[in-house]
Amino acid sequence: MVKHLFTLIWNKKKQNFLLMLEILVSFLVMFAVFTLTVNDYQRYKKPMGFDYEDVWVINYSNSFQTGNKDSLIRYYETLRQLLKGLPSVKDMSFISENVPFSQTTDGDGVNYNKNEVQVEAFQVEDSYRNTLGIKMAEGRWFDSQDAVSKNKPVVINTTLKEKLFGAESAIGKDIGFSYNTKIKNTVIGVVQDAKVKGDYSLVSPATYTKIDTDAFNRLGNILIKVSPNADAAFEGLLYKVLANYMKNADVEIEHLANKRVSINNFTLIPMIVLLLVGGFLIINVALGLFGVLWYNINKRKGEIGLRRAIGASGAAVSGQLVSEALIIASLSLAAGTFFAVQFPLLNVFDLPPNVYFLAILFSIIFIYLLVLICSLYPGRQAAAIYPAVALHED
Amino acid sequence: MLENYFKIAMAILKRRKFFTFISLFGISFTLTILIVLTAFIDKIIADNYPNAKNDRSLYVKNLEERGGEKDHFSSASGPMSFYFLDHFVGSLKTPIRIAICSFYNSTNTYVNNKKIVIDYKYTNAAYWDALDYEFLEGKPFDNQQVKSGDLVAVISEDIKVKYFGDMASVVGKYIEADNVRYRVCGVVKNVPITSYMFYGEMYLPYTVSKTGYKDQSYRGDYLAILLAGSQAEVPKMQEEFDQMVRKIPMESKSYDTIFCHADSYLTGYLRTGNEASSGMTYAILAIAIFVIIFMLLPTLNLVNINITRIMERSSEIGVRKAFGASSKTLVYQFIVENLILTLLGGIIGFILSAIILLCINNADLIPNLHLSLSLTVFFVGMITCLIFGLLSGVYPAWRMSKMNVINALKEQ
Repeated sequence: MVKHLFTLIWNKKKQNFLLMLEILVSFLVMFAVFTLTVNDYQRYKKPMGFDYEDVWVINYSNSFQTGNKDSLIRYYETLRQLLKGLPSVKDMSFISENVPFSQTTDGDGVNYNKNEVQVEAFQVEDSYRNTLGIKMAEGRWFDSQDAVSKNKPVVINTTLKEKLFGAESAIGKDIGFSYNTKIKNTVIGVVQDAKVKGDYSLVSPATYTKIDTDAFNRLGNILIKVSPNADAAFEGLLYKVLANYMKNADVEIEHLANKRVSINNFTLIPMIVLLLVGGFLIINVALGLFGVLWYNINKRKGEIGLRRAIGASGAAVSGQLVSEALIIASLSLAAGTFFAVQFPLLNVFDLPPNVYFLAILFSIIFIYLLVLICSLYPGRQAAAIYPAVALHED
Repeated sequence: MLENYFKIAMAILKRRKFFTFISLFGISFTLTILIVLTAFIDKIIADNYPNAKNDRSLYVKNLEERGGEKDHFSSASGPMSFYFLDHFVGSLKTPIRIAICSFYNSTNTYVNNKKIVIDYKYTNAAYWDALDYEFLEGKPFDNQQVKSGDLVAVISEDIKVKYFGDMASVVGKYIEADNVRYRVCGVVKNVPITSYMFYGEMYLPYTVSKTGYKDQSYRGDYLAILLAGSQAEVPKMQEEFDQMVRKIPMESKSYDTIFCHADSYLTGYLRTGNEASSGMTYAILAIAIFVIIFMLLPTLNLVNINITRIMERSSEIGVRKAFGASSKTLVYQFIVENLILTLLGGIIGFILSAIILLCINNADLIPNLHLSLSLTVFFVGMITCLIFGLLSGVYPAWRMSKMNVINALKEQ
């Protein structure tokens, strides 16, 4: 039966060629759309890993310049006490410029046993964990024991742990940083991955180290956790306190919840545009397919009439037409899958292979459904042809 | 003759309404999307507010310092300090005005328990001469005010409404931002954030900058706009700029090369910080690939439909051929017919784009970005229409013209 249908299609290869090309291109477009959506969805599904509600970021610049280390520490200690003394402030942490949901990154390289990994290096304080509600996976966070330890303590995230140590425990292992090769670092804990670059971001390997006291003049960001009832009036008060204390600084307060929306938009808006454009293309293709199939059936009235006359049932006739359309689609899909499979094989965009395979699967199902829907109505029309009427026309 | 073709085309359009609908749907929607895309690009790269003197301006916005051996490679790239622009770029003779301004930064202010985020930037007095901001009231600050470090501000219409509400005139009133009170000296029409070199909601004299402007390191947060006396002097200005850059002493021993360019607006806009290429090639390539892939499907679809429609007319073709019409005439006729169809789709496409642009403008997706159907957009739309018509008409017409007379007549 299938072989027979192949012959029929082969005989009209010239006419079917363009149809097949169209299905092939639609498949590739759908493949691109599904790859992106599947990838984004898989990232979105992973837990956020930290708590961004009621966390604010204070950005300040150039507040206090001094060569004296003691007065530098005193200056920022006073600021810390000032902020902690405010009614709604629950916790706070100074942090390097790669605050959550910002585009800024601080790259560094980490090596263990000659295995080098590029990481996002966060410089934080002990209170960072509580401020953001980050959960430990293994070991411990920074605490008072660190002061007596010989090596510099470092906390890493799960992604980095898997890259460097695999299934082994990371606790107590010494790792080196490319930026500063002289200092030895010991891993004291592993935290769960936190999607600090937004819901749709891939968690990059990360290290957390404590801020050196003399690094304070290079910092410009503070994270504060406020109570849920902190409103604009409190924010105004906080702003006044900051601006009065840091006379020479430009101060800005942002809310992590708002920053999350805007960083997500960088992924969401292109995605929505892509889906709209893809949707439009598919409607276009569907209408075209429908038209061409419908026309083809009209042209084959004689043939169909004859088949009905010698006893083929209506279902058999429409079945034949639908399967013909599906075979044409299969040929295109085979060619399309050949191209699509190259992406995971050659690892073109560095996405996990299962994203590509899921995307291929979804696109194949989608195209089959599309062709099926577009050929069902013409097929049913063909089944409704009366042999007498059809044969009379010729 | 053309009139005849037109009549035939219209008659055929009416005959198979469903096919006509499919064709027109495909053509008009494809064009709509391309037109909206063009309107976006046109607005972003060729807007002339506030840079009306764009054709005789050059933009300096990035400085890259490089040095070291291959394995100890060091480089730093980013905007420049005020000192660098004032001291080195300011020494140029050709430009009649050198506008220096910072990129925008954000700060907060609180009025009536409401938070307002203000994007502010620092400028010099020449900035207001080099660019043509539309002042709704008041005037810019002058050189004297800049020199003496007056706390004055030019604000945008948006901030005026947000901060002062519906007050008629705000010149002379005080606005508090970053815990400093500035006297408003002018209100300008809004600039969309896509024109990031000019965007700001509050413009302040650089002398009041808290971070100071005297720091002698090369890199900072400023950019410069060089204005030539006439368009003819632009190449000369660029030449002088490049010569000047070659003479700049290295900032530190770890560097041995300085890259700094005075670009036209478009090149500057797309400059990615990669010294090897300006980013222009990438942008054009990306847009071209998008357009080709995007047009491929509707074109294929249209070709399919056209073939179907033409085959339907085989008897007409047979008769015309039998009476001696050459293949050329027939091909010509079908292409003309198809062009008429695409133009019709184009007109619908224009109407649709106008509606969509109106929606985008009303939705305020990007604040203050008002898209419009300009002449460029219209021109691009027409060209796409023609390409579309030709691409989707030629192959079916060629297939048809090869049709055997006897077969064509027999099919009925």
